[in-house]
Amino acid sequence: MDTPLREPTFLILTALAREPMHGYAIIGEVAALSDGRLSLRPGTLYGALDRLTDAGLVELDREETVDGRLRRYYRLSPTGDATLAAETERLRRNVEAATARLRARSVRPLAPRTAGGLA
Amino acid sequence: MSILERRYRQLMRAYPTDYRHDRGDEIVGTYLDLADPRRRWPSVADAADLVRGGLRQRLRAAGATDLIPGVRLAALLALTTAAFLAGFWTLVEQSPPPTEAGVPTFGPFESIGIVAWLAWVISALLVLVAPGRPTRVAIAVAVLATVAVLLVSPVVGLPRPPLLVLVPQVALGVLALAVDSRLPMPARALPIVAAAGGAAFAGGAGNQLYWGSYRWTSELLLPATGVVLLGVALLLAVGLAVLRDRRGGWAVVALLTPIGLLSVHILAGAVDGLGGAPRPTYPTLVVAALTVGLLGPAVLPAAVALRRRFGGSSPGEPCPTCGIRR
Repeated sequence: MDTPLREPTFLILTALAREPMHGYAIIGEVAALSDGRLSLRPGTLYGALDRLTDAGLVELDREETVDGRLRRYYRLSPTGDATLAAETERLRRNVEAATARLRARSVRPLAPRTAGGLA
Repeated sequence: MSILERRYRQLMRAYPTDYRHDRGDEIVGTYLDLADPRRRWPSVADAADLVRGGLRQRLRAAGATDLIPGVRLAALLALTTAAFLAGFWTLVEQSPPPTEAGVPTFGPFESIGIVAWLAWVISALLVLVAPGRPTRVAIAVAVLATVAVLLVSPVVGLPRPPLLVLVPQVALGVLALAVDSRLPMPARALPIVAAAGGAAFAGGAGNQLYWGSYRWTSELLLPATGVVLLGVALLLAVGLAVLRDRRGGWAVVALLTPIGLLSVHILAGAVDGLGGAPRPTYPTLVVAALTVGLLGPAVLPAAVALRRRFGGSSPGEPCPTCGIRR
């Protein structure tokens, strides 16, 4: 699986980090994690789960039938766990770097540009 | 089984049979979990999602998952080519025949084709500044404007560019609709740079008189553009194949129709005998254009079928998600 992960992929893995989930629950969890900004549809979700399974990041956990409807639960594989941790660390460093720059700028406002550019 | 469930299951036919058998209950169940129980019909968005998912799964089963990225690459090349031609024709439009010649014109322009060419230039600009939906809408408008030029011209009695020019432009535009909305900045700049290049080429020193007319200009320019497009696509295909990326091959296949239409008079002339090129008889030209227009798009699914037969995943592999062996 290519890194950096795309946002839907990252959020699906994040949703599964807590516990195994079925498709409907993953869709709800991804919507909650993204503050409602990302609304996955089942066709898209199961396509993504297939790719993640191919890449060895997600595994089938168990199957249940609820109200006559089949539900398969998916979980993070050890590789998926490591990939999510690595991606989270990469994003955390980026956020820290950006936050430090912004904080420094707010403490010391940018000097106005002088005419003539660099001397 | 409710009416809604039955309709979702009908839409699941977009998926391959084996996959539908293994995963259909699970996928339909998720749609039903999400749907308002009072609904009788799947929403348009759900239907589009199912069809898209089914197409993706069929490509995956055929080992052709790189087809969609390949078509997106072809779309960028098609939009760049369409923008180059639009830039070129925009300049040609500004050299109408002199009034004393008595040939009808469209105000200060040679024909009403200027409306379509400007729509194309706007599309090329939008892909740079507003990729995604605004660009796709602009491309759709440019395609419709090109078709409208053809239909409106006889009604209002105004001149239009020849079919030889308009038909390949529409084919390039239809393919360009698949352009990726997440292109890097240099790729997004390609179409508008090509449009400026086309205009500069047409207006360059000594070229303005040379390229003064649609008819024989198009007979020279269009096949040359087709050859350059094919050359660029083949080079990209080889370069990407070295990196084990098969997108380029699919891009070449997707571009066959517009490339064929750019050179259709040469192809038709070859059918008439070499003496007929590049001005074949009109019936031969029409038959050649119809053949390219109908057979060209069929090459893509045929290539997918061949890939499935000779290079796809083996049927004994387990379902990647549930582990079931088929």
